[in-house]
Amino acid sequence: MKKIHLEIIFGTVFILISALLLAIMAVKEQDRLGEEGRLSAYEGQQRASQIEFGAGIYETNCTSCHGEYGQGIPGKAPCLRCEELFSARMEEIGWQGSLEEYVESVVTTGRQVSTRPELYQGEGLGSPVMPTWSEAFGGPLREDQVKSVAAFVANFEEWGLNPELVPTPVIALPPDDPTALGRLVFVQQGCIGCHTVEGLSTATTGPVLNGLADRAGSTVDGMDAEEYIKNSIKNPSDYVVSEFNDGLMPANFSELITDEEMDLLLSFLLTLSE
Amino acid sequence: MLNSLREKINNFPRGTELRTKIREMVDNRVRIITAGLSMKEIRAVLRGDPPTEKPNPRYKVITTSFVAHLRPRYYPKAATWFTHTFRLGWFTTFFFVVELVTGMVLMIYYVPFPDQAYESILAIESNVFLGELMRDLHRLGAEGMVLFTWLHMFRTYFTGSYKGQRSFTWLTGVALLAITAWLSFSGYLLTWDQLGYWAITVGSSMAESGPVVGPALNLLLRGAPDIGAGGLLRFYLNHVILFPLIAILVISIHYYKVSREHSISLPATVEEGKLTKEERKEATRRIDLIPDLLTHELFLTSLGILIMLVILYFGLFASPLETHANPQQTPLDTKAPWYFWWLQGLLKIDPASIIENMLAGIGITVELSSILNSKFIMGLVIPPVLIGILVGVPYIDRNPSRLAKNRPFAIGWGIAWIFILLALSYMGLPEFGVETPLATRIIQDLAPEEGLGELRATPYEELIPGVYTVGEDYGRDLCPSGYSYEDHESGELVIGCPHLTAVFTEYSEKLLIGEEEGKLTDLHATMTIEDFAPSLRRVIMHIEWFDDDASIDKEYEKQYFLHLDRVREH
Repeated sequence: MKKIHLEIIFGTVFILISALLLAIMAVKEQDRLGEEGRLSAYEGQQRASQIEFGAGIYETNCTSCHGEYGQGIPGKAPCLRCEELFSARMEEIGWQGSLEEYVESVVTTGRQVSTRPELYQGEGLGSPVMPTWSEAFGGPLREDQVKSVAAFVANFEEWGLNPELVPTPVIALPPDDPTALGRLVFVQQGCIGCHTVEGLSTATTGPVLNGLADRAGSTVDGMDAEEYIKNSIKNPSDYVVSEFNDGLMPANFSELITDEEMDLLLSFLLTLSE
Repeated sequence: MLNSLREKINNFPRGTELRTKIREMVDNRVRIITAGLSMKEIRAVLRGDPPTEKPNPRYKVITTSFVAHLRPRYYPKAATWFTHTFRLGWFTTFFFVVELVTGMVLMIYYVPFPDQAYESILAIESNVFLGELMRDLHRLGAEGMVLFTWLHMFRTYFTGSYKGQRSFTWLTGVALLAITAWLSFSGYLLTWDQLGYWAITVGSSMAESGPVVGPALNLLLRGAPDIGAGGLLRFYLNHVILFPLIAILVISIHYYKVSREHSISLPATVEEGKLTKEERKEATRRIDLIPDLLTHELFLTSLGILIMLVILYFGLFASPLETHANPQQTPLDTKAPWYFWWLQGLLKIDPASIIENMLAGIGITVELSSILNSKFIMGLVIPPVLIGILVGVPYIDRNPSRLAKNRPFAIGWGIAWIFILLALSYMGLPEFGVETPLATRIIQDLAPEEGLGELRATPYEELIPGVYTVGEDYGRDLCPSGYSYEDHESGELVIGCPHLTAVFTEYSEKLLIGEEEGKLTDLHATMTIEDFAPSLRRVIMHIEWFDDDASIDKEYEKQYFLHLDRVREH
């Protein structure tokens, strides 16, 4: 047999095998793209990586107001993993689209005026309750980042509608150090949302707390530092620092903080010297 | 009128006469379309029979047909020996055609704007019918084209096929090497992921380091001081219009020289070696385009398609796609495409400090780093010099002989260059010569910023929340005893947490070795896993140590979010 004949035979066989491979791939592809497979593995994976990406963005940008785990900070910004967002919020605001789109729109433009001033009053006219986040309106995030963070928030639905599923957080610190644990309470209760503590937060809504240990004992006559701080947390209107308005600090911390947490918090705050 | 019609009908050919007449008419049409081949001739071609007419009608096609005029009439037998050419040039062209075809399909779905580019790639991968295949073919073809261009060049060099009248063909070949590299490199940016974005940022920053025209050149290339919408559009247009057109033109010139002017070079042993008369006759026997070369090319085409499809069918190659480009975050291990590793290696050489050290050795102290900028010398001066040397090869090498034994210097030089390129490429790897702090390195190896890594491959079910401290004894398994789970992907039952345990063991071992070696004094390291959101857990790697050199406490922390449904394998 001549070389040319072998080439024709093998060439034909190769083309047939190629066509077969292509056909198999096409059939698989059809399953993948078909109506049933639409939310198939690939899209699930894309969704998963979007949520992971969104979590990172949330962690860097949003925790100072919405809390480390989306639990919200009283007086500062609402809870993002609570039932209210998933069951009532869209109706309250009159939103027509999906929840994820709602979150996307809020993140994109921010909130210039509070829709619930009795809960989140912000810092008055001229400074937004929530800043604009989208690059399109002068914020720092690209469109895909905004979408990812919205996907991350929408992912909270499962916990929002089933609060019993929310796990207790793992404490990432040695459990025998009250100062370190108090620092954690300070973070988790959202104190960082309003108070500056050097190396931890930079918020200016409330007084700077560095130096608190030095001055707390001499602020009110007849009250030692511990008493004064405890009282200021539980009844914030009693002694308001002169540059700040009354009513800025939520009055319900006595309900939110357990006695045990209060002790830890105190041991942390009393280390804050100048 | 009726009479004349009757006359015509009477005179109309019948029987054999009619058949001959029809055959002639058909034959005529066929000859016009095939530029000279009759029906009988086509049958002979398909059977592999010799030509039926004289002069050989198969040669006429090549003079008359536009498409065929680029092709040779024949090659001498020895020029088609597989061991002479290895079909390297042919496969380069094959890959170029693959690029054109798949590229045109991809162009339908691709959007060259920064805010949509990445998403359009995701859409091609997920929503376009056979889109993933098209992208993989395009990427595989690109890598193949670059590889085969290099191989083709080395083959031409070692067989001495650039000499004499082929020196201009060599020049166009060098141009094609540069064009291919640029075509491939410009395509790199289009995915708009971290990989492409930073490879191009590093690459194009070389232009910026040039004197006088540097900033202007950079601006021309990027469309702005940094790569943005303007830069992406420029790279896109370069990639899909300008350089494909230039490539088509230069390939045509390169090929026309070979096919119509000087043919593929004969092996030196045939051209200069001592052969018997019969051997020489056989070696220079004509192998006609029609049908032999053409059949062979169709065969190679089917082979090429089959190999590519098999590679993709069995998942041996997948085009990479990293996370969305982020100008604010430089990835830890920036890596150029493999065919530019040699250049990256070059950039790591700092000529100023080498000369300074040499002069210091003989007692002269100078400061050169302000004049001899490594990026400028290594990125902008050396590569053009190298291209200059390549272009000059036929003029530098005046040795008329092509036989390997007569040109030991040229062959040695070529082999040396292969080693130089390999060594530079090795130096170009991110692992080489870039000092990453140990703590950073350990975490990056375990859970790289891009790609999978051991941590990301850990099943979600094994990520049991808790604080795991390095150095503490957790027994054989990190998870509570008796723990088992059913993998939600594979459905298989797993006892304990083998994967997580392996990850933690590797993390601990590397850190403890670092502590032993004195690189991480007073080590305190943890791995914390916690629930962050539904189906989403956070892993925090935290390392604290005392830096002996700087005498301060240091810490490094990195966190990862791992979702239940994330990709766990490639």
